[in-house]
Amino acid sequence: MSKIKIGLPSKGRLKEEVLFFLKSKNLEVVNSFGERNYFFNIKNNKEIDGIFLHAREIIERINDGTLDIGISGLDLLKELPDAYSKNVKIFKRLNFGFADLVVAIPKDWLDVQNMADLEEVSFEFREKYGRRMRVATKYPNLTESFFLSKGVSQFRVVPSLGATESYPFTGSSELITDISSTGSTLKANNLRIINDGNILKSSACIFISKKITKNNFLNFF
Amino acid sequence: MKKGLEKKKLKEDLSKKILNNFKKNKFNFTDLDLLIDTNLLTERSGEQFKKFTLTYKDLFGKEISLRPDLTVSTALKYIQEKKYKEEKYCYYGSAYRLDKEGNLKVFDQIGCEIINSSNNKSENILINSILEPLKKIKNLKVILGDVGLFKILVESLELPARWKLRLVKNFCRIEYFEEMLKRLETNYDLDQNVIKLDTKRLEDLKKLDSNETIGGRAVFDIIKRFNKKIKDPRDNYKGKKNVKIIRDFLQINTSLQNLESLILSFFTKNELISLSVKDYLKKIARIHKEIGKKYSINFKTNFGRNIDYYTGIVFLASVKKKSKIIELASGGEYNNLLTTLGYSRNIAAIGGAINLNELINL
Repeated sequence: MSKIKIGLPSKGRLKEEVLFFLKSKNLEVVNSFGERNYFFNIKNNKEIDGIFLHAREIIERINDGTLDIGISGLDLLKELPDAYSKNVKIFKRLNFGFADLVVAIPKDWLDVQNMADLEEVSFEFREKYGRRMRVATKYPNLTESFFLSKGVSQFRVVPSLGATESYPFTGSSELITDISSTGSTLKANNLRIINDGNILKSSACIFISKKITKNNFLNFF
Repeated sequence: MKKGLEKKKLKEDLSKKILNNFKKNKFNFTDLDLLIDTNLLTERSGEQFKKFTLTYKDLFGKEISLRPDLTVSTALKYIQEKKYKEEKYCYYGSAYRLDKEGNLKVFDQIGCEIINSSNNKSENILINSILEPLKKIKNLKVILGDVGLFKILVESLELPARWKLRLVKNFCRIEYFEEMLKRLETNYDLDQNVIKLDTKRLEDLKKLDSNETIGGRAVFDIIKRFNKKIKDPRDNYKGKKNVKIIRDFLQINTSLQNLESLILSFFTKNELISLSVKDYLKKIARIHKEIGKKYSINFKTNFGRNIDYYTGIVFLASVKKKSKIIELASGGEYNNLLTTLGYSRNIAAIGGAINLNELINL
């Protein structure tokens, strides 16, 4: 019988929390091939082949069948086209890695409290400046669907790779959507979350391939 | 069921006949571009357009889309050719759209458009030209609507200007429009506690240079809108009353013949004052006079909300086949479309198209 291939986040707080979680389930990760090697094993368990990957990559690899199991963020799966949900199943939501994807505006936009205000401002903005308001984000698909569901259609997504909070103050966008755990980074950058601007409540999840939904190894979780 | 070759031949014959008919009515045939700059589409309709257009990037990162409809292509043609007088176009070609599952659907359309006409009979000419090839079809039904009539209704309501604008602009987004009506009934978007806090912060904002921008918006604009918003004169009673009027209006479904008297009595019954409604109804009366007797036409106030560029009359011709409604032709007025695509001013425009794929299957 072939081994189960599992993918875990390769860095950051999420990696630490995942390793802690696995240990609590008697699945201790060991770097048998050296500290800097991306491959790992599980102590006293020969059923598993493991690899550390970027959190986004884990979902891609489950989707294409290279991985059987992975731990990553729910936000990353939801951002991908619906077709991914056919191959990548959420096995369990975990009690860590919490983060909300939110809509944030400059704190001094006093006249904007909710998405309805934003809808109105976006029309005014277009009429005044002859272009649509720009929303900087690392999550273009989720942002687009959410804005449209709230009636905000006069916007344009500006894809961002990082430091998204700075965009409204460098002239690169008017507002942003971003992942926020406590809201403190947004606050420190003079941004404010819109009242009904919570796009997604995310946490870490165990994702599995549709091929292994009944595998005994899943009993560990 | 007709087979491939048979269908192709039938389509060719039909399209020739219909185009000849259009040409007799002085429409000039035009070849339309297959590809459209995606930016033009999204500037007009927002990002949602991309969801149902087949779009790709060229080597320089510029996004290009296969034309999702032929009206937009015709309007672009008018702009590109720097026309400034009335033009009557007719065309034959395919439109390409993605369905909800992302599958490409091809619609073979044959249609005509009148752009920049000052002739008050252009609606009649256009609708007549589109319906003419269908007139022998048994049990053909025509539905007429008018987005402009809804605008007149909203103008006559006792509502803040910003709400009037919102209702008109979101008329085509049916689900969100419903949400807006609920909000209008309850006033829940005005949180008095937050307003109190923000009124205090307003003083700090007033100390800034009013031309300074914050996140792309001028301080002056933020203050102006904030003041306008907190003085929103709505109350629950008026909100509920207005929503009831809107809902009742959108229930109107009558023969074209009865429309004028029904609308006028609706306005009187609800104590709505509009100086323009009588004048506006003359346009529909003209359609009734010239086309009303030839076809079975019903007027629905709730009809024509699915395409966001329509600004006035909208129409649909259909037949029922095995309890299924087959849409054979549709169209409408789009007086603002050309400006959003880059023309220097708003000009009158109306167009319509026959769905050949459905027509040959009858």
